[in-house]
Amino acid sequence: MSADPLQALASAGKGESTRGLLRVIILALIAGASIASRLFSVIRFESIIHEFDPWFNFRATKYLVANGFYNFWDWFDDRTWHPLGRVTGGTLYPGLMVTSGAIYHALRALTIPVDIRNICVLLAPAFSGLTAVAAYLLTNEMTPSSSAGLLAALFMGIAPGYISRSVAGSYDNEAIAIFLLVFTFYLWIKALKQGSMLWGALCALFYGYMVASWGGYAFITCLLPLHSFVLICMGRYSTRLYVAYTTWYALGTLASMQIPFVGFLPVKTSEHMPALGIFGFLQLLAFLDYVRSAIPSRQFQTFLWLFAGGTFGIGLLGLVIATSAGVIAPWSGRFYSLWDTGYAKIHIPIIASVSEHQPTAWPAFFFDLNMLIWLFPVGVYLCFQQLADEHVFIVVYALFGSYFAGVMVRLMLTLTPVVCVAAAIAVSTLLDTYLSTKSPKPEESQAVEGAEGKKAKSGLKSTSKPMVGVYSIWGKSMMVSALAVYLLLFVLHCTWVTSNAYSSPSVVLASRLPDGSQHIIDDYREAYQWLRQNTREDAKIMSWWDYGYQIGGMADRPTLVDNNTWNNTHIATVGKAMSSSEEVSYPIMRQHEVDYVLVVFGGLLGYSGDDINKFLWMVRIAEGIWPDEVSERAFFTQRGEYRVDAEATETMKNSLMYKMSYYNYNNLFPPGKAVDRMRGVHLPEVGPTLSTMEEAFTSENWIIRIYKVKDLDNLGRDHMSAAAFDRGQKKKKATKKRGPRLLRVD
Amino acid sequence: MKTSAVFSALLSLLSLASAASADSKSSSTSTTLPATFKPPQVFKNANLVHVISVEKNYVKENINVLVQNIDKAAQDEYFLPFTADQMSRVGGVEVKDRKDSNAGPFVAEPVEFDQESDIQYLRIRLPKPLAPGAQQTLGISYYLLKAYKPLPASIKQEEPQFLSFSFSAYCPSAYTTTKQKTEVKFPSSTIPDYTKLPGSGDIQEFPQVQGSKLTYGPFDEKPAGATQPVSVRFEFNKPVTHVSHLERDIEVSHWGGNVAFEERYTLYHRGANLSSLFNRVKWQQAQYYQPNSFALKELKFPLRVGSADPYYTDVIGNVSTSKFRSNKREALLEIKPRYPVFGGWKFPFTIGWNSDAKNFLRQTAAGGFVLNVPFLEGPRQSEGVEYEHVQVRVILPEGAENVKYHTAIPAQSINDAAVEVHRTFLDTIGRTALIIKARNLVDDFRDRELVITYDYPLMAALRKPLIVFGSAVAVFVGAWVVGNLELKFDSRKK
Repeated sequence: MSADPLQALASAGKGESTRGLLRVIILALIAGASIASRLFSVIRFESIIHEFDPWFNFRATKYLVANGFYNFWDWFDDRTWHPLGRVTGGTLYPGLMVTSGAIYHALRALTIPVDIRNICVLLAPAFSGLTAVAAYLLTNEMTPSSSAGLLAALFMGIAPGYISRSVAGSYDNEAIAIFLLVFTFYLWIKALKQGSMLWGALCALFYGYMVASWGGYAFITCLLPLHSFVLICMGRYSTRLYVAYTTWYALGTLASMQIPFVGFLPVKTSEHMPALGIFGFLQLLAFLDYVRSAIPSRQFQTFLWLFAGGTFGIGLLGLVIATSAGVIAPWSGRFYSLWDTGYAKIHIPIIASVSEHQPTAWPAFFFDLNMLIWLFPVGVYLCFQQLADEHVFIVVYALFGSYFAGVMVRLMLTLTPVVCVAAAIAVSTLLDTYLSTKSPKPEESQAVEGAEGKKAKSGLKSTSKPMVGVYSIWGKSMMVSALAVYLLLFVLHCTWVTSNAYSSPSVVLASRLPDGSQHIIDDYREAYQWLRQNTREDAKIMSWWDYGYQIGGMADRPTLVDNNTWNNTHIATVGKAMSSSEEVSYPIMRQHEVDYVLVVFGGLLGYSGDDINKFLWMVRIAEGIWPDEVSERAFFTQRGEYRVDAEATETMKNSLMYKMSYYNYNNLFPPGKAVDRMRGVHLPEVGPTLSTMEEAFTSENWIIRIYKVKDLDNLGRDHMSAAAFDRGQKKKKATKKRGPRLLRVD
Repeated sequence: MKTSAVFSALLSLLSLASAASADSKSSSTSTTLPATFKPPQVFKNANLVHVISVEKNYVKENINVLVQNIDKAAQDEYFLPFTADQMSRVGGVEVKDRKDSNAGPFVAEPVEFDQESDIQYLRIRLPKPLAPGAQQTLGISYYLLKAYKPLPASIKQEEPQFLSFSFSAYCPSAYTTTKQKTEVKFPSSTIPDYTKLPGSGDIQEFPQVQGSKLTYGPFDEKPAGATQPVSVRFEFNKPVTHVSHLERDIEVSHWGGNVAFEERYTLYHRGANLSSLFNRVKWQQAQYYQPNSFALKELKFPLRVGSADPYYTDVIGNVSTSKFRSNKREALLEIKPRYPVFGGWKFPFTIGWNSDAKNFLRQTAAGGFVLNVPFLEGPRQSEGVEYEHVQVRVILPEGAENVKYHTAIPAQSINDAAVEVHRTFLDTIGRTALIIKARNLVDDFRDRELVITYDYPLMAALRKPLIVFGSAVAVFVGAWVVGNLELKFDSRKK
């Protein structure tokens, strides 16, 4: 945005080096702005890791820094997924941690004692500055106007769609992956344009880095072949394409196979087959090209048909056989849900239960991209106007990216770069058209065109029609000022969205006191710190998987399940323990050696992200494995309502989750006045009773409640009757008949 | 430091102890004596008053004793016995002449003779040998850490806490005591249990109770080493705060004109455990009805006036429950633990702040520098705080040399002091760091000063800017050279 007056200045400053210097300064300023706009949460709160997944990455980084690379590579983590453990070193994308580790050691070598946490917190903003530069480079390949590049850098720097995953503290794979994505695309375009093996190899190198960093590398793996395929179909096969693609594919695949988590997937799974297919196809084309130059054209026709048909048939047959024989894995569930948005909901509740896997709502596009979303089609249209190889790439990327962004919220991230590039092309074309101070006279139009040509050879003008100029200053200034207003509004919107929507650490909540001062609600860390300091080092904590990484990172205690949802059955076991009655849950917890159970309760504060609100997902996931024992229907009332007050169903009231959430809660209020502020209902006067566990800790605002699972009774009674005895009730004889099953531990 | 180390090494060589080399390593301030050592009976305690104060969460003992030399020669070594267990927990021993305040603190040091023996001795060196038959009044004060046991060991969170403390009604002494009495001061008059002893003289029964004070004695002549175990149990409804490790860093920056403090505490509550686990409802209600609790809720750090930019963090980040009040008269940092700390619980945390160097640093006429900082600046709590291990690290600027220190902390509590090298922010040779290790200190010693003198030549101060400038120039020159290299195989397109 600020580029335009400077751009005008740049044209005033005549020398090429002046403009180069200006460009560098502007780019540096943009990178600075993109870093600065991501620091809201650090300034408002503190330098802290956000959300859930980043806590694992942070913990892994600390492990890497403390134990060295090889130990990290072979890391078997027995403090998660108790009692299974996790082969962490082989099931993660190490790029992010290795990057931070390298930065850490480099700074240490310069004797700059930076805390590893600060490196992790600030990694995403730093890389977003690099992403802005990468966007500049990519756009510069599309259009000769460098103002488009600068605009793209700016858009990339502050577009909320990207900021959402790269604010300070959001230490996730995406933090570096988007930079790698854009930069890999830039290198690909460069390689394709020049047919250069060097650029192709560089592209493969960064592709390898991307594979090491983020599961979203499949996006590149699919997009580059698709681009090549479209080019071939347009009859644009060339040796440039051949060199670029084969270099990238051969080296990139080898590089990607070095990551243990990826391993042989590039030759085994369906996601990677398009890349392999196009690789083979290009070999055939190259061969045919050679044959055509060698034999007469008539024979060549027959040869072509036979050859092409035969190859296609054999290839398809091979693919079908390999898939059915299990050599090539079928598409994974997450991938299916990309084609059918209802798929996950029916088949894999655990994927559907993650909010970022939901289909995108329409307003989200405007929220995340603002005016870029309507400039985006203009930019794509302008690409159609020129349609060189690189413009085809933008068109293909735009189609592909738009579809996926519509299917899954988190894939908005992969759409954002192309939107920025396309919108920048559109805006710069508009500005170049309207920002020329000289009004052409009809007879002079040719001359003006010649003078302007150096600066901006826009798509619209290049349609060899007679010069259509803008003749009135009035119209020009209207247009330019309107655009300026839009750009200003865009900046305002981005700042507002970043500040309000994307800068909350979610570990720490902020509220306002009546006098307007900020009050920090720090219940998560209060409880995690309590766990860390006052429980046994190996006390096993059971909680819903959302909190697994945080418990591992902040409380440093073993967990049963965490956000790496690799074992659905294990998660369902926890879901079952949470959604069943105490008689059923207690043996499950004993079997898993659970010492403490942690639940999140938002009833006192009106905090919406609590476990009662997530409870139905636990039930659903448990029902998926034990349809006979857990039934979602039983948690709804006759009228189909999900209630927690006196009207709640018996199953609901007896479930462990309900009991743990509301245990002792009514004592906080005068009799009969207990109210759940989150769900806005009055609770029954008599609260639930717990027999198999006891309250161990409740945080200040009751957000985290921790329960200790009781040991077996000293007198050999079951816990129900022991608790009933303590409450002074008589022993019921009927309990003997259908007595709870009790696990015997020798 | 070096001279004393040499001195002790010499002493150990001279001594007859077999394990001389091992002993000389362990501590530089102790003295090694033969394993069969018994204090010679050259003194008599003519009158002794033993005051035990259990008002705080450590025990402060004062022994005021009139000693008389009954030997034929002048004597200058008075021995004070402790059990081996006590010896590891005793700290801050200070000995004065009660009559002559100018006599200054006398040297008191542990005697090393037999590690296995249950009785260990502290040797007090009198500055002037006491002539035969002469008398001198010694005021010996020391602190005992980890002295109490909660009884009952676990209570409910709303119940008051009781502590028990065992000691000897006869003051342990290596000499015959003619007349003595022991006074015990309590925080309140609620003393449900105490050992009763048969009285003597006019008094029917010991102890005599006067409000929050118990008095055992006066007793008549007791032989050396006589003990009479008694125990008391009293209400102490305050946290028994115990800091097992305190690491205190003081970083002096001449360029920044700043002294940065950072303190890392490993804090335990040694009081009664919870018999039933923590109940938030009761806790919240108790905040209104009976705000007194044995849980640790708050710590107040009165910092030096002029302290600024305080921070309070723990291992998982900033702790938001803190207040800092700073004005011309005070700089008070009030912090709350993340959760109320009950008996058996632990809460490690870190605090730090900055201060202007001119508050602490002076340049002497000779060109050297004098740094005067408090040795200890822990919280000031009405119930007191005890520190088991304290490590003070004073990080001086890079190139500081000729470091000497002096502290008002009793020498008996100082374990070790060494000058090391600490490398940080763009250092090349590393900064000079003075590390002093002390043990068994209490908050009574806060604000005792630590004076450090050192030389800091001008060239050392200019070292860093020159090196940074030089490296930057080197990088630019390197970049220019690399940029001018012709690496292409083919330069046709140029």
